[in-house]
Amino acid sequence: MSNRTRFRLAPYLFLLPALVWYLVFLVYPMAFSLFISFTDWDGLSPSFNVVGLANYTSILFQDDISRLALRNNILWTLGTLLLPSVMGLLLAVALNRGLPGRTIFRVILYSPGILPLVAVGLIWGWMYNPQFGFINEALKVIGLEHLARGWLSDFDTALPATFVTAIWGGVGFPMVLYLAALQAIPNEQYEAARIDGANGFHLFRFITLPWLREAHVIVFSLAVINSFRTFDLIYTMTYGGPGRSTQVLGTWMYFQAFQYYHAGFGSALAWVIAIITLTVAIPYVRTMSRD
Amino acid sequence: MKRTVPSVAVLALLVVLIAACIPAAPAGETGAAPAAGEQAAPAGEQITLRFANIFDAAAMERWQPIFDEYTAQNPNITIASESTAGSGAAIYPDVLKTSMASGSPPDLFFMWGGEIAGPFIDAGQVLDLTDFYEQYGWKDRFGAWTVDRITRNGKLYGVPFNARGMGFWYQKSMFEQYGLTVPTTFAEQEEMCATLKENDVYCVTIGGKFGWHTMRVLDYFLEYTCGPDGHDRLNRLEERWDAACVVEAYTIFQRWIDNGWVVPDFLTVAPGDARFPWYQGEAALILEGDWYEGVLKNDEQDVNNFDFYLPPTDHEPVRFSTFPEQFMITADSQHPNEAAAFLDWLTNPETQMQYVNTFASSAVKGVNPDCNEWTLTCRMREVILGAASTYPPTDQAFEKELMDGFFEVQDGIVAKQFTPEEGAALMQQRVDEWKAKQ
Repeated sequence: MSNRTRFRLAPYLFLLPALVWYLVFLVYPMAFSLFISFTDWDGLSPSFNVVGLANYTSILFQDDISRLALRNNILWTLGTLLLPSVMGLLLAVALNRGLPGRTIFRVILYSPGILPLVAVGLIWGWMYNPQFGFINEALKVIGLEHLARGWLSDFDTALPATFVTAIWGGVGFPMVLYLAALQAIPNEQYEAARIDGANGFHLFRFITLPWLREAHVIVFSLAVINSFRTFDLIYTMTYGGPGRSTQVLGTWMYFQAFQYYHAGFGSALAWVIAIITLTVAIPYVRTMSRD
Repeated sequence: MKRTVPSVAVLALLVVLIAACIPAAPAGETGAAPAAGEQAAPAGEQITLRFANIFDAAAMERWQPIFDEYTAQNPNITIASESTAGSGAAIYPDVLKTSMASGSPPDLFFMWGGEIAGPFIDAGQVLDLTDFYEQYGWKDRFGAWTVDRITRNGKLYGVPFNARGMGFWYQKSMFEQYGLTVPTTFAEQEEMCATLKENDVYCVTIGGKFGWHTMRVLDYFLEYTCGPDGHDRLNRLEERWDAACVVEAYTIFQRWIDNGWVVPDFLTVAPGDARFPWYQGEAALILEGDWYEGVLKNDEQDVNNFDFYLPPTDHEPVRFSTFPEQFMITADSQHPNEAAAFLDWLTNPETQMQYVNTFASSAVKGVNPDCNEWTLTCRMREVILGAASTYPPTDQAFEKELMDGFFEVQDGIVAKQFTPEEGAALMQQRVDEWKAKQ
């Protein structure tokens, strides 16, 4: 009797359409983009020259706007890791209690996250309008007129102001993830700890946080990935300005590839984004996922 | 063996599918026009001319009857409009570029004048129409500066469609209220601004997002400080951008802001929003173009209360900012002669006068809208088409990458991130960096 398993073609045929789709619309464009990143192609001409690593060295060592964009992305990432994630956790802990109307609060807090970012950017752009925007008018009403300014026109406040918008839209998703994870924590853990004399902080520090380990993995890795993909808010609210002070890698990639006709350089920026994202996300996920 | 054969078959199928998806290299024609009459379609062949443009739904309501009329006169030709509406120069060129790079370009396309079309021309994607100009006598049909402005390296790659010009628009009631008259010198212009400031009114309103609205004011200062010849040399990069006159223009801009003559915090205000302080009487002037009577009517403003003047530059003649819009034919079009014939019909004064509301800003001499209904537009058109000399907005003199360097410095000057001297030096650095990449 042969020990060889009889080969079955049917599973492969069922996988084939998805595999073809994946190869054609994901793998092939990625491979082609990687190839372009080593050329000076303008995205329009029939010919191009292979320039090796010139695009990458320019991004990392020569192009000051690329370095500015990278710095802005790092700041955005640090801010995203600290603020929306932590705020989402605290909101989830608060809404995990039996509060009246907690479902409504959950809906209200999550709703900004489902709005299209372009619409969010346009709305907040109006709110920040220096002449008739809601924010400056509200500051005047409460007697803080001296704080009213051109939030998006000021080189120092444009990026933080845009980030506030990102926080507003980005708190809901971590909140939902943490909420789901909180509800999986056995209540007996808390009861036993209370019997042993644990207070609220002890419960949070020694029971809640460890049990949320896998949720942390998801929230933080998505925060890093999404922060390096930032494009919509910057494009709609500031267009990379004033000057180029709010450029991030996503918008700079777009400008280079599609507006300056430097498809090779833009592709290299895209791969820098991908490499940074994968470099951070993969090891973190692997480390935190170990039991 | 049995396991290997199916796997190899699957892999072979994948290789074939992927190979089929690799695009063929485009034809890469040089863009020279065929000799007139060559490659004419066989008689009776049904031809569809694909026409890429930025016309929105309202504009298409005006354009479709024109396309239909052409088909009625030429039954074998259909004009298929491919609109990227509401996008402007930020998006439309991307769409156009994608269609060209894919090997499926339109036959005709709309384009702004100047260097926005530069990358397409340099990539060999645009047909040289010089021979068609001779065949159809187009040079005599359009305002002289419109043809000059679309000439590149001595060749004509487009046919002017619109002739646009810009000036300071103001409310007559405000001028009466504050006892103002139209300034004839730059000093008078600044005196006007000072008077307005004394009455807590801003002199000019700007929407600085995207940079080009701010650029219009800075272009005016450059025309004043550098003079027509110097300004043109700057635009051709034949003069250094750290020249004294550029420093002076930046200094003037900072002075206007320090004096409170410009509505504050405008750098990321959308250009379309700049008019709201103006409507509310908080600002006196806005630097806009011949299309603005239409904007005023759309906003239900009393047009009789508005007027315009050319910003005084203290040079003769008084130049102002103008730009053409044009139609071009792609180098890979299969029907260049038919496309040229359509453009000839489209820019014929008789054709345009039948659809005058569509061609209210026409570059064709003698084509004017109903001047009883469009009084200001007609007056401005007379000025625009009769101008002996004008200057282009800088964003049509420079390619986008260099232009963004201009905007970067401009914004930095406005926000006082640098002194005028530092800004000028940075602008020259951006010019040098851009030149090194060419």
